[in-house]
Amino acid sequence: MDLALQLLVNGVITGSHYALLGVGFGIIFATTRIVHFAYGPIFTVAAYMAWYSAAMLGLPIPVALLIAILAAVLLGVGSYVLLYEPFEKRQAPHLVPLIASLGLYIVLENLVGIIFGSGVRVVREFTNGIHFMGPVFFTTIHIWQVVVLVVLGGALAVFLRWTSYGKAVLAMTDNPEMARIIGIDTRKVAILVFAIGSAISAPSAVLILLKDGATTHMGFLAVFMAFVAVIVGGIGSIKGAVIGGFALGMVESLGMLRIPTEWQSSIAFMLLFLVVLLRPQGLFGAAMRR
Amino acid sequence: MEYILHILVMASLYVILATSFNLLIGFAGLFALSHAAFYGLGAYVTAILTTSLGMPFPIPLIAGVAFVAAVGVLVALPAIRVSGEYLVIISLALQIIVVEVILNWRGLTGGGDGIAGIPNITIFGGRLSSPGTFLPLAVAFAAGCFWIAWRLAHSPFGRALRAMRENASAAQACGKDLVYMKLTVFAFAAGLASIAGGLYAHYFNYVGPDGFTIDETIYILAMVILGGTGNLWGSVVGALVLVGLPEALKFINMPVDIADKARLVIYGALLILILRIRPEGILPEPQSRSVTATATAGGSQGKAQETLLKAEGSADAQPILEGRGLHKSFGGITAVSGFDIVMRRGQVTGLIGPNGAGKTTAFNLLTGFLKPDEGEIRYKDKSIAGLKPHQIVGAGVARSFQDLRLFTKMTVLENVVVALPRQSGDNVFKAYFAPRQVAREERENAERAMEVLRFVGLEDKADERAENLSYAEEKLLVVARLLATGAEVLLFDEPLSGLDGNALQEIFPVIRRLAEEGKTICIIEHNLDVIKTLCDTVYFLDEGHTMAVGSPDELMNDPELAERYFK
Amino acid sequence: MSTAILEARDLCAGYGKKQIVNGVSLSLNTGEVLLILGHNGAGKTTFVRALFGLMTPMAGQVLYEGKEITGRKPAANVADGIAFVPQGHGIFRSLSVHDNLELGGFVEPDKSVLPQRLEQINGLFPILKERASQTAGTLSGGQQQMLAIGMALMHEPRVLILDEPSIGLAPNLVERVMSSITEINQRFGTSILIIEQNVPLSLPIAHRAAVIKTGEVVYEGAPEPLQDHVKLMQLF
Repeated sequence: MDLALQLLVNGVITGSHYALLGVGFGIIFATTRIVHFAYGPIFTVAAYMAWYSAAMLGLPIPVALLIAILAAVLLGVGSYVLLYEPFEKRQAPHLVPLIASLGLYIVLENLVGIIFGSGVRVVREFTNGIHFMGPVFFTTIHIWQVVVLVVLGGALAVFLRWTSYGKAVLAMTDNPEMARIIGIDTRKVAILVFAIGSAISAPSAVLILLKDGATTHMGFLAVFMAFVAVIVGGIGSIKGAVIGGFALGMVESLGMLRIPTEWQSSIAFMLLFLVVLLRPQGLFGAAMRR
Repeated sequence: MEYILHILVMASLYVILATSFNLLIGFAGLFALSHAAFYGLGAYVTAILTTSLGMPFPIPLIAGVAFVAAVGVLVALPAIRVSGEYLVIISLALQIIVVEVILNWRGLTGGGDGIAGIPNITIFGGRLSSPGTFLPLAVAFAAGCFWIAWRLAHSPFGRALRAMRENASAAQACGKDLVYMKLTVFAFAAGLASIAGGLYAHYFNYVGPDGFTIDETIYILAMVILGGTGNLWGSVVGALVLVGLPEALKFINMPVDIADKARLVIYGALLILILRIRPEGILPEPQSRSVTATATAGGSQGKAQETLLKAEGSADAQPILEGRGLHKSFGGITAVSGFDIVMRRGQVTGLIGPNGAGKTTAFNLLTGFLKPDEGEIRYKDKSIAGLKPHQIVGAGVARSFQDLRLFTKMTVLENVVVALPRQSGDNVFKAYFAPRQVAREERENAERAMEVLRFVGLEDKADERAENLSYAEEKLLVVARLLATGAEVLLFDEPLSGLDGNALQEIFPVIRRLAEEGKTICIIEHNLDVIKTLCDTVYFLDEGHTMAVGSPDELMNDPELAERYFK
Repeated sequence: MSTAILEARDLCAGYGKKQIVNGVSLSLNTGEVLLILGHNGAGKTTFVRALFGLMTPMAGQVLYEGKEITGRKPAANVADGIAFVPQGHGIFRSLSVHDNLELGGFVEPDKSVLPQRLEQINGLFPILKERASQTAGTLSGGQQQMLAIGMALMHEPRVLILDEPSIGLAPNLVERVMSSITEINQRFGTSILIIEQNVPLSLPIAHRAAVIKTGEVVYEGAPEPLQDHVKLMQLF
């Protein structure tokens, strides 16, 4: 029973992490239909920038976080304007931006390796606190992972719900042509979602840096899990990405009741297979118009 | 010297990997990012069978091919149902699972340490232990694999693959079995990749999980894109360039670790660059000339006319295709209900009615693209309801699409050839084991296709890519492709919409003549001039069922129907 | 009723190399309702999409209030007082009715005028007020069409282009939509260009009518002669 409770809590924590990544990747995907694989290495860059600022320059962690966010936003917007938009303009088949994004992925990941070197980078100045609540155990970073999802997810919800540009994002997600018809500048909105989606990835990258340290490969799991969360939750729905992220975290964590630890991440893929085969529109997504 | 030979061995392995990957993404358009996993599995099968069971070359290699081809079929199963981003993520997941299994199944794979001590290949008592001795074998295998890939790509099966890539539903409407095609091409691509893996294991005497990750898949992908998708020679060039080029880095003094990463940066940057400046790659997809050349050489004229254009009987107005009580609803919305139709040999039947009346749905039901909820479809007194679209085409009922769905990157002639019925080359085994029969049929088919093109007046455009045709010519090609199926019943979905008066005058006689030859024809059309000129019988559909049947004049002078038509 | 507010001169348009509109010249006069009829695939939709800037014309000109606007982006046209209601789903299905209407006023720089316009539109279509918080995709077909028209009115356009507003609607709803179009025309003085296939219910509200066939204008003039449907069938 205690184990089940612990795994449930772990599921919420991991789920929050995946959900946040899913939201960042998902808002870009839902609005522009671009499979932005470079989201992964941008996540990595954010972690390394924070590491460099905190561990090498000795800046406080909040400042390091700001620098990480800034770097992620610049790279995210840059990848849209310099890489994807030209393909959109010449109406390239939609797999072309995807291939290009794999190219950008491999370039960025290895540039990080060249610039910062390989090996795990940790911020020694930070010590992770350990907390108990009854039989359940968690760390300070775990709390932050949940808090960040609640705060950023909430802020995003408010932005989308209550601001004019937020609604423009929802409009473009729903029906891009109709968005143009009512006079929305769809290019501006695309740039905006690349900025928002990339910005969201930075805090979760910093938390992983503080928890496990940064490695050049860390972005792969980030973008992959984000992608899975989006597919599981249902393409085109930001709420779906959150639910998909949690479903993923829960399945992964609770699966450990029966399945050995080292197969943990394979469980997520099994969920993915099942969803794609049985319910391609996602667990909670409406059937999408294509 | 030794070093250059090593590079050449590696280039040979990558030629195998890039050409086989090209079959999948370039020819079949199946974007599955799991090629390094196939490669890795092949390597591990060889490693395990040689070290644990002591099996001699080439048994492990053959076992690897069989096993990995089976895994390829497993990946193809989701590919039957999903495409695009879904296939990307599923195959990516498979790629990760494979590496994960290798890492975790320590007892079998050695986990992160990998498997060492794989024996060298021994041929005629000689051990191939140095790059120099291994190279001839590697090149021989690369050539052999290239030949296998080439044969596949340039057989009728390969043409069908490209058609599927261009438009899956249109390929089905040409009688192609997509499930068979997808499973087969995955099995081939995976099996070939495993050969490269087996050679890798013997060559390095070691396999470890690091070499078969997603980065490796992207590396091979870069070769295919750089060389040119849909061109196997392009993949050879891409492999040579991407294996060779970064070796230049060796002359710059930098740590090995950095050099490795710089190499990957170059791959990624090249991939982006080629997509930006030359998306078709160094060697773009060729237009297969073999077919055209043989065809224009001419042949027995009029032969095709007999076999393709003539129906089995004369224009005797016998009922051929009948739909009875057809019903179809989507969610809560009824598209077609209680729909009856009879199509007669030698007659042109028209379907008219206001927007959303259910005309296209009716076509989809009759041709198996949709399954009716209720009702019966009989073709020459046999029930064909429930058959797959390609089976219905094979039986003798074919259709065209409102939005054309031409195979735009293929030539006009290929568009027609691909639709010809009963090609033994559609079966891959015939392509390898009965090459003469296939080649003979290819020549005949090219002639038949030319005959069809002459019939519609497109013979001068045979070598043109379909995307370069004018709109009216595209419409003619749609007619030609439909004709080429050899089907007795031809269903045209708005064959003439969007054409101006002159172009109409070109197509009218073609369709009229088909009916006179004994074909059974049905057309959906909104332009009432067309209906008046062409049709013998007209069905007026509204709200999913037939409101009236009669001659065009009867229907158009009926004030009540006019009212309905303009409602 | 004489000056043209929106005018097409020898407009040609199409997709890729497929030309669908072959030199159409038509003008919408200030304050009138102009009806364009034609069978499916005749080129009506392509014509208005080219007018509105959703696709770039292949040849010819578009003039708005006397100045040339050929190929101008929709965003600029909307800001300049032209609104377009596309065929079918001219709404954001996943958003609420209220959000849809608010988005209709997206280009309006002064958002403070929107509540008052919302009132006007609610006066025209009271059902939209009742359903304000409902998800637009769950509205009935007729309500969705009213919402689409309402959205277009949110920035007080001088020209309203409607592409088959009656499609998929039951006859009584079509009548309702048509009468609201007349109301918009009379109450706000909006010049309206409407594409239709429903002849009996759209003819009565038109001041002038045109028939397009294979991308060309085959009839232009008074709506009355088109009331003879059998004769109209000859034109189609």
